[in-house]
Amino acid sequence: MIVLRRQLPLVITLIAGLTMAGQYYVPHPASEELLTSVTKWLQIIGGFALVLGVSSLFHQHAVKIRRREAGWGYSLVLYAGMVGTIVAGLWADGKESLDGVLTAFGWVYNYMMVPLQGTMFAILAFFIASAAYRSFRARSREAAVLLVAAVIVMMGRVPLGEYVLPVSGDISQWILNVLNASVRRAILIGVSLGAVALSLKIIFGVERSYLGGGKE
Amino acid sequence: MSVESIIGAWVATGLTLFIFSFLYRDNPLFKLAEHLYVGVSVGYTIVKTYDTVLVHLIWKPIVEQHEWSLLIPVLIGTLMLARYVPQAAWLSRYAFAFIVGVGAGLAIPRTISSFILKQVEDTVRPLVALVPGEGVVLTWDLLNPASGVNTIIILLGVSSVLFYFFFSVEHRGPGKVVARTGIFFLMIAFGAAFGYTVMARMSLLIGRLTDLIGYADEAYGRPTLWLTVLTVSMLLLLSRRLKSEPPQEG
Amino acid sequence: MRIAERMLKIDRRIIFLIIGLCTLVPLLYPVGLPIKISPEVRAVYDYIESLPEGSVFLLSLDFDPSSKPELYPQAVALLHHAFRKNLRVVAMTLWVSGTGLADQIISQVARETGKEDTKDYVFLGWSPGGTAVIINMGQNLYTTFPSDYHGRPTKGLPVLEGVNSLRDVDYAVSLGAGNPGVEAWYVFGKDKYKFEMGGGCTGVMAPGLYPLLRSGQINGLIGGLRGAAEYESLIGRKGQAIAGMDAQSATHMAIIVLVMLCNLFYFVLRRQQQAS
Repeated sequence: MIVLRRQLPLVITLIAGLTMAGQYYVPHPASEELLTSVTKWLQIIGGFALVLGVSSLFHQHAVKIRRREAGWGYSLVLYAGMVGTIVAGLWADGKESLDGVLTAFGWVYNYMMVPLQGTMFAILAFFIASAAYRSFRARSREAAVLLVAAVIVMMGRVPLGEYVLPVSGDISQWILNVLNASVRRAILIGVSLGAVALSLKIIFGVERSYLGGGKE
Repeated sequence: MSVESIIGAWVATGLTLFIFSFLYRDNPLFKLAEHLYVGVSVGYTIVKTYDTVLVHLIWKPIVEQHEWSLLIPVLIGTLMLARYVPQAAWLSRYAFAFIVGVGAGLAIPRTISSFILKQVEDTVRPLVALVPGEGVVLTWDLLNPASGVNTIIILLGVSSVLFYFFFSVEHRGPGKVVARTGIFFLMIAFGAAFGYTVMARMSLLIGRLTDLIGYADEAYGRPTLWLTVLTVSMLLLLSRRLKSEPPQEG
Repeated sequence: MRIAERMLKIDRRIIFLIIGLCTLVPLLYPVGLPIKISPEVRAVYDYIESLPEGSVFLLSLDFDPSSKPELYPQAVALLHHAFRKNLRVVAMTLWVSGTGLADQIISQVARETGKEDTKDYVFLGWSPGGTAVIINMGQNLYTTFPSDYHGRPTKGLPVLEGVNSLRDVDYAVSLGAGNPGVEAWYVFGKDKYKFEMGGGCTGVMAPGLYPLLRSGQINGLIGGLRGAAEYESLIGRKGQAIAGMDAQSATHMAIIVLVMLCNLFYFVLRRQQQAS
C-alpha cells in the first residue's frame, strides 16, 4: 500500500514534471499536441480547485451556525448572500447581462459585490496614511534615504507635485527607470532562481509537502 | 432612471457606508457587510465555475462533441475532491502530484528564459557606444534609461543587491561596502514602492467617493445623504451601548 | 505630556478625516492641473496608433472590483483608442470575479462607439487555470474558448477570422492587478508565441514591472490612475482618471505633510529627551 499511497504520486510528479519541462525544447507536432491537451486539462482541473477552495468556507460557517457560536448570525448572512447569488446566477444562466440588459445576477454583482469589494480595499487608504504618520521616521541613514525617495516619487507622480517642484517628475522617472529597476531586477533574478530550485526539488521528490493530508 | 438602478444605488451606498464605518470602530454594521461580501463573492465564483467549467468546458464538449479525452481531467479533478472522504483522502495525492508536477515542469524553462536569461542579458549591455567620427563614447544622459551612465548604475545596483542577499559569504571588508551599497539601492526601491502604493490606495478611495458623489444625485433620491445620516446615527447609538470598550489605537 | 509627544499620539481618526476631506473636496471642486505624459504610457499609445486597420488587439482584463478605480479607466481608454483605430478587439479575463466588470466595460464602450459584437469585437469571458489558459491560447484559441461569454461558438466568428492562436495577435495588453497578470502573459505567452505586448497595472505593481519594461519584454506600461489619466489625455477624452487626479494630488500632498510633521515632532521629542 505504501507504494500506491506514497511512491506512485512521487513517480507521477517526476514523469509529469520532466515531460513538461522537456516539451519546451521539443517543437515536434506530437509534443505541441501534448502541450495543448495538458493545458486544456489544467483549465478543467482549475475549476475543481476553485470548488475545493470554497468548500472549506462552507464547512467552517456551517459548524458555527450549528453550534450557535458567537457571531453565528453573521454566518447566516454569509449563507444568505451566497445562496441568493447562486439562485440569481443560475436563473440568469451565469450571465451578468443578456442583450445589454442587466440580469438579477448582474444586479447583485454591480450593486453588491463591486461596492463591497471596492470599499473593503479603499479603507486601506486611511490606514496607509495613519501608518505613514506614525512610523515613517528618519531614525537612521537608510530610513532617511527611503523617506526621501518616497517623497520624491509621491510628488513626481501627481500634477500638483510636478507643479510645485517641476524637477520631481524627472527625478522620480529616473528613480523608477534606473534605481528601482535595478533592485527589482536583482530580486526577480533571485526569486526566479529560487523558484526553479524549488520546482526541481518538487520534481525529484525532495520537496513533498504538497502531498499533505490523508492517512498513509 | 429604472427602479433597479435606484434600488441598486441605495444598496450600493448603504453597503459602502457600512464598510467605511469600520474607520470609526469595529461594529455590527461593518461585520454584516463583511460577511455579505464573502457570501456574495463565493456565490459568484460558484456560479461562474458551474457555467464556465461544468457547462461549457465539460458537458457540452463531452456530450455534444464527444471529446471523451476530457474525462481524464474530470477524473483528476474528482480525485482532488476525494480529500473530503477520510478513507479515500490519499487518492487526492494523485491529482496533486499531477498538477504540481506539470506546473513545475511548465514553469522551469519559461522562468529561466524570461526572468533569468533575459534579465541578465539586459544588465550586461555595452557600457560605451562606437559613434562614427567621434570614436568610443560614454553617454551621460541620466534621463535616458539606455545611456552609458545608467547602464553602469543598473549593473552596480543588480550586482550589489544580489550580493547583499547572498549570505554564503560573510559581508566583511570590500564585501561590506558592496552589501551596504545594495542596502541603499534597496531603500530607494522601497521608497519608490511606498510612493506608488500610496498612489494605488488613494486611487481606490477616490473611486469609491466618486461613486458616492454620483449617488448623491436627486435622480436616485440622494441615498448618499440619507444613508450617511442613518449610518452615523446608528454608530452613535451603538457607541453608547459599547461605551465601556475604548476605541482602538494604531 | 509634551506637545510633540501628544501630536505623535494623535487619534488616528483625525488623520482619517484629513485624508477623507483631501479626497472629497477636489472631487467636488476640481482644478484640472495639466498631466505630463511619460514615455512608457506613450509607447503603448504609439504602438496602437501604428497598427493598421483590422489588426487583432487582445485585451486581457485581469482585475476585479478591488482595483476598479485604477484599471477600469485604463481599459475604457484603451478600448476607445482601439475602436477609433478600427482594430479587431478580442477581450477576456483571467480573474473570475472580474468577469462582470469586463463585460460591462466592453459592452459600454462598444455601445458608445457603435461597434458590433462578434464583427468588431468579442468578449471571450473567463476561464480557470490562469497560466494554463495563456499557454493553451498560444496553442489553439478555440480549444481554450470553444464559446464566447454569451455561449456562441467562437469558431466562425467574423472578428476572429484568420486568428487561430496567440501567434496571430498583433498587439496584446494585459491590465493586471496581480497574478495572473502582465508577468504571466509574458512568461507563458509572449516568450514562446512572439506577439508584441504592453502592460497596464495597479500602482502597487508598477515598480515591479520596470525590469520587464527596460529589457523590452513589454513595450510600454500604464501604471495606476496616473497612467490611466495620461492615456486619457493622449486620446483626448477626459474620463474618470483625469477627474480623479486632483484628488490624487491633494492626498499625496497631505501624506507628504503628515510625514514631515511626524518627523518634525519626532526630532523635537528626541532633542527634548536628550536635553532632559
